[in-house]
Amino acid sequence: MIAVHGSVLAQEIEIESPNIAYSAIYPILIVFGVALVGVLVEAFAPRPRRYVVQTVLAAAGLGLAFVGTVLVAGDLPETQNGLARGGIEAEGALAVDGPTLFIWGAILLLSFFSVLLFAERRLESGVTAFAGQAAALPGTEAEREASTRGLEHTEVFPLMLFAVGGMMLFPASNDLLTMFVALEVLSFPLYLLCGLARRRRLLSQEAAVKYFLLGAFASGFFLYGIALVYGYAGTVTLAGIDGAITNRVGGDGLLLAGIGLMAVGLLFKIGAAPFHAWTPDVYQGAPTAVTGFMAACTKVAAFGALLRVFYVAFGGAQWNWMPMMWIVAALTMGVGCVLTLTQTDVKRMLAYSSIAHAGFLLTGFVGVQAATRDSDDMTSLVAVMFYLLAYGFTTLGAFAVVTVVRDSSGEATHLSRWAGLGKQSPVLAGVFALFMLAFLGLPATSGFMAKWAVFTSAWAGDAQLLVIIAVLASVITAFVYIRVIVLMFFADPVGEGPTVAMPSVLTVVTIAAGVVVTVALGVAPQPVLDLAHQAGEFVR
Amino acid sequence: MSVVGLLFLLMGAMAVGSALLVVTTARLVHSALWLVVTLGALAGCYLLLGAEFVAWVQILIYVGAVVVLLLFALMLTRAPTGVQTGLTTGNRVVAAATAGVVGLVLVTVVVAGFGGARVSVDEESVGSATSMGDAIFRHWVLPFEVLSVLLLAALVGAIVLSRGRASSGEETP
Amino acid sequence: MPTAAAASIFPRLTRMDGYYGSYVPVLAIIVVGAVLVTAMFLGNRLLRPSRPSPEKQLTYESGVDPVGTGWAQIHLRYYVFAYLYVVFAVDAVFLFPWATVYAGLGWVTVGEMGVFIGIIAVGLVYAWRKGVLAWT
Repeated sequence: MIAVHGSVLAQEIEIESPNIAYSAIYPILIVFGVALVGVLVEAFAPRPRRYVVQTVLAAAGLGLAFVGTVLVAGDLPETQNGLARGGIEAEGALAVDGPTLFIWGAILLLSFFSVLLFAERRLESGVTAFAGQAAALPGTEAEREASTRGLEHTEVFPLMLFAVGGMMLFPASNDLLTMFVALEVLSFPLYLLCGLARRRRLLSQEAAVKYFLLGAFASGFFLYGIALVYGYAGTVTLAGIDGAITNRVGGDGLLLAGIGLMAVGLLFKIGAAPFHAWTPDVYQGAPTAVTGFMAACTKVAAFGALLRVFYVAFGGAQWNWMPMMWIVAALTMGVGCVLTLTQTDVKRMLAYSSIAHAGFLLTGFVGVQAATRDSDDMTSLVAVMFYLLAYGFTTLGAFAVVTVVRDSSGEATHLSRWAGLGKQSPVLAGVFALFMLAFLGLPATSGFMAKWAVFTSAWAGDAQLLVIIAVLASVITAFVYIRVIVLMFFADPVGEGPTVAMPSVLTVVTIAAGVVVTVALGVAPQPVLDLAHQAGEFVR
Repeated sequence: MSVVGLLFLLMGAMAVGSALLVVTTARLVHSALWLVVTLGALAGCYLLLGAEFVAWVQILIYVGAVVVLLLFALMLTRAPTGVQTGLTTGNRVVAAATAGVVGLVLVTVVVAGFGGARVSVDEESVGSATSMGDAIFRHWVLPFEVLSVLLLAALVGAIVLSRGRASSGEETP
Repeated sequence: MPTAAAASIFPRLTRMDGYYGSYVPVLAIIVVGAVLVTAMFLGNRLLRPSRPSPEKQLTYESGVDPVGTGWAQIHLRYYVFAYLYVVFAVDAVFLFPWATVYAGLGWVTVGEMGVFIGIIAVGLVYAWRKGVLAWT
């Protein structure tokens, strides 16, 4: 990179200082800025006020960034003969184009509702669901003292905002170096957040350590892949790599090894088989609000990055990576569906379900269906982006429901405890049943439209076999989701039965948002599909 | 063989040899100290390859700071520091085989990719602090600034995880 | 190895210019240092009488008999000091390339470096307010 930039610099010496178009990237700056203010609030605000200040700050910051994203989207210039909109910003580091802004919007909306879940206090009788004092060992006097004093770590809000900033950078990165830094920025706070549960702390800490170790390992793979791709192309910019592949500059070995290693890093974040092993443990152990945030937002960000890298940079080598992705997609659906069947814990079941959904998303990704001018075909990009938004809201809502079903030891996540929930709280059980049906892909839910979009594009992109596998997989998972519904409505409660704690308005709003989006995208998906269409292709 | 080539071979052998000792020694602290040798030898390799700045970063950050962090982490644990036989498990054969295969594949890939490449270290100062500065402050400004955010997030996280009783030094409202 | 290649590199090493040439003094110091240390220890070993006894093998602690083992578990908070050291080492390392381009690029880079250090300084302020920096 140094060598390349040395020579590039020699030609562009007239450019004196870096040219950063703040008008295009300010949503990211808002998120990072608010996170910084959040850290200062932690440092200076008196303890009793911190919770309110942090919550308002985080929610307002994310809302503001969302408004900013909409405004930026409003005046994107058309490029590439109208196929794409947007441009390369920040000295080539970021591509602010239609897909980027769609993904930013999705991440910001989902993280806004995640903040509300983070801020839920009524369920734990007056404190958040995060550890009062992370350093106190579980089961010690110090922990009890922290609990009696009502301590809580409000640092979770700035940490979460750091993660959101990283998630926005990740799919927007226009070179591999920025992408790697973004990957670290999004991962690091998540590792921490996973270990901060107030209840079942050992499980939570185990989840954090597992996620950290495997995540660091996956980052290492990703970095090594970047090094090899750089060795092949002599540049880390996505357009430069694309050019090198088109001109066949070097040996294919370097390129293929590089693509493979980078794919490991990205597929790990997505939770695709065979790199999915962390998902159930981490989803189960992490505080449920964090799990919802991860399941919704990390998936969006990581898929955005996967799409950009593989379509923009490696598009020319499509026939080389396609077989690998076929196998991964099929394996992911298989593992996700079959193992969902055997789960007895709600959070683990949702984790395996998220693996299965990663497989469905990969189906759309593999059936590469590029846009052509003035056509309304379902492109892969549109299908996957729509799916991500739909799935994100449904899964966030589902995890929000999980936080509400409780017994004396906290959340009652064992499935047997959910028996008879329909009799105790028909509304909540009905909502959860709706989410289950959306996961299943029943018509009139967002899940159906999402699957329809993904399968259509994959079918048109000559991935018919994969579509058939995906449909079969959906049928298998139907069994699980329907079993949960039957359990809730037709089974008799075991023992005392579950109790549904009344949450504050924060969680209610989140669940309601999940319901509204799930139904709206199922009944009237066209506006969002149009929006995704208008976003166009990635800029190059 | 030139002097530079000879030195490079020496450094490479040192790096590989001490890396083997890192994973085979029965004392955890020795393992960390052998890591110093590995990282130092790697710094020497970087220097000989013309990556001047990276070599000094390697020494300042990795040998200087990261190994210290590692030793601190070791000292945090209650683990004994004497000879531990349990560190090497029955998986070592599989692990060695995996490492060997990975090494073989990577060497093959790198040799196939860069077999005939020649870089003149005298004519262009490609790895000097100046060219790095030019690259960082002109082209890689955004990732550079984001790095500070990463450091900050990790610092906040470390403090959240490690701060003991809130009363110690904590301001009272 | 072709002798021509060796000949073309070797003279360059003996001259004090060029990339490798500039490192000849560094190499010389390392070599001289290693030789000196080895020579002194070797000389010491050759000249000294060797009569070990259990008392002499003890760790020297200002003349007091050592108690317990040399290894103790440290408190978690010291880890943050080590981490702060890493943060500022990374910070300092970026100052070197910055110093070389500052003259050419001017105030813009001052701003860039200022943002970088400013963000880390926020972390330092946070650490200070949390009482992490107090040595208690």
